[in-house]
Amino acid sequence: MTVTVIPQDIFLGRIRRHYFSNWANTTVSVAFTVVSVWILWNLIEWAFFDAVFEPDQRQQCEAATGACWSVVTTRWRIVLFGLYPFEEQWRSALACLVMLVVAILSCVPFFWNAKRLPVLWLAGFVTFYVLMRGGVFGLTPVFEQKWGGLSLTIFIFAAVSLLGMPLSIVFALLRRSELPWISRTMALVIDTIRSLPLLSIMFTFAIVMPFVLPGWAIGDKLYRVIVGYALFFACYQAEIIRGGMQALPVGQEEAAKALGMSYWHRIGYIILPQAFRNALPPTINQFVITFKETSLVTIIGFFDVMASGRAASGTAEWSFAVIEMYVFVALIFFVFVFSLSRYGAYLEHRLDVGSR
Amino acid sequence: MTVVAISVNSMNKFYGGFHALKDINLEVARGEKVVICGPSGSGKSTLIRCFNRLEQHQSGSIEVMGTKLDDNVDHIDEIRREAGMVFQNFNLFPHMTILENCTLAPILVRKKSRQEAEKTAMQYLERVKIPDQAAKYPGQLSGGQQQRVAIARALCMAPEIMLFDEPTSALDPEMISEVLDVMIGLAHEGMTMVCVTHEMGFARQVADRVIFMAEGSIVEEAPPAEFFDSPKNERTRAFIGQVLGH
Repeated sequence: MTVTVIPQDIFLGRIRRHYFSNWANTTVSVAFTVVSVWILWNLIEWAFFDAVFEPDQRQQCEAATGACWSVVTTRWRIVLFGLYPFEEQWRSALACLVMLVVAILSCVPFFWNAKRLPVLWLAGFVTFYVLMRGGVFGLTPVFEQKWGGLSLTIFIFAAVSLLGMPLSIVFALLRRSELPWISRTMALVIDTIRSLPLLSIMFTFAIVMPFVLPGWAIGDKLYRVIVGYALFFACYQAEIIRGGMQALPVGQEEAAKALGMSYWHRIGYIILPQAFRNALPPTINQFVITFKETSLVTIIGFFDVMASGRAASGTAEWSFAVIEMYVFVALIFFVFVFSLSRYGAYLEHRLDVGSR
Repeated sequence: MTVVAISVNSMNKFYGGFHALKDINLEVARGEKVVICGPSGSGKSTLIRCFNRLEQHQSGSIEVMGTKLDDNVDHIDEIRREAGMVFQNFNLFPHMTILENCTLAPILVRKKSRQEAEKTAMQYLERVKIPDQAAKYPGQLSGGQQQRVAIARALCMAPEIMLFDEPTSALDPEMISEVLDVMIGLAHEGMTMVCVTHEMGFARQVADRVIFMAEGSIVEEAPPAEFFDSPKNERTRAFIGQVLGH
């Protein structure tokens, strides 16, 4: 005997079973639906129906009851590029685009290779730097103090990742050294840096370091901050990688040893690839945190995307529209962090093939 | 004429204060098949793992294919190239295909071309009767298949000696014979083999010599017929009684 079930009945039946099974459930369900719809409706009304979108409509904005997106459409360039010279902002935009392409390309399995991925990132980073800084190929030099907005945030994030990732692998390997004095020293360094707030590390590198370092090693404040941040990142990431290594069965390294593989071959072909796979969820987490915490650089006088947003709505003319500006900045962060998380989920799914 | 493959002289191994291997003297000739058995904790796995420095011995000497096993990394690498090892838990590399498992070390260590390594690997996979699984990942294979791949992987390095560390202990009963068949075939081809195993049928069939260990010492060693039919030591008798007695 065959039973035919109408799909709609399953759907309605499930709704009835889960949300309207008794008097109390029904009350809660109805109450929450009403409140959610009310909130959503007000939000949509504020953000779309009653909002002002056209640039330079301050008067109209003040009269309107909805959001004043006019502040974003008027001053978005400050958010994206900070104090970067107006006529040169195409370079900043192009630089961001280059980094975006690099990020997308590194999602393609073709580049998942210990040689191709570093080359890709290094090439992308150098292109980014040359475009931003100029001084070659007939580009007007623009000094780091003028950098700002989203491009500065991306620059700091990319530089910290590029510097911090190899450093974290070195730290993790030193931490695992068979020589006790090396592994203990590394453990002490990692624990010390991890116990300091990121802010104090940035301060130290930006303000204290110039007194300590010899003149030739001081460099721009931006680079000192990046080095400090990369060090901080590397210490956390090293522990994540070490965790991934410790999750491996001892037999893996023994089998590689028994085949006569050298230390570097064992690390490069057997240990690290598996450790990275084990450590993927916390690694993505670490990247998300690192991206968001770039906004701490405002404290030492850099205009990242967050600070630029505040500056863009900080004039007397637009100060009433500060919420809209923050929503816009939040949206930028969301787009980046959400894509990062989704990419992480995709990676996890894809790398799962071998472990099934 | 016999050429010595492995020679161990008054070797001792400690774990901290625990005396794991006591004054071991052992010689394995080229082409000889030796089975090591004994109760758990008797040090048989530790002994075989000392041969390729997965465990470090504290005194005495070990020589494998004429190379002295000391702290010199070149010597250790030399010995590891010449002595293939098969583990209880297979220890295949889960992130690589079967073929990649078999070609990695020949390419990296023996400096073979990929083409050549793959050709050799397919020959050995055919010999262990799983060439059709070459593109799969270890996790997709049964335990018996994985262990046969592990044997093929070790053979791809063209070793002079094969060390087996309880190769069938982690297998389901119905898969033991497929692994033993491969090992018997290998023995008939004249491979030098040292096997830690509880498979007494295998010992009787292929071993030239059976070694019985207890509490870190070699208690008795004899050809299989003599070992099983007229063991001299009381502990050997008790052990054989337990293994075969039901």
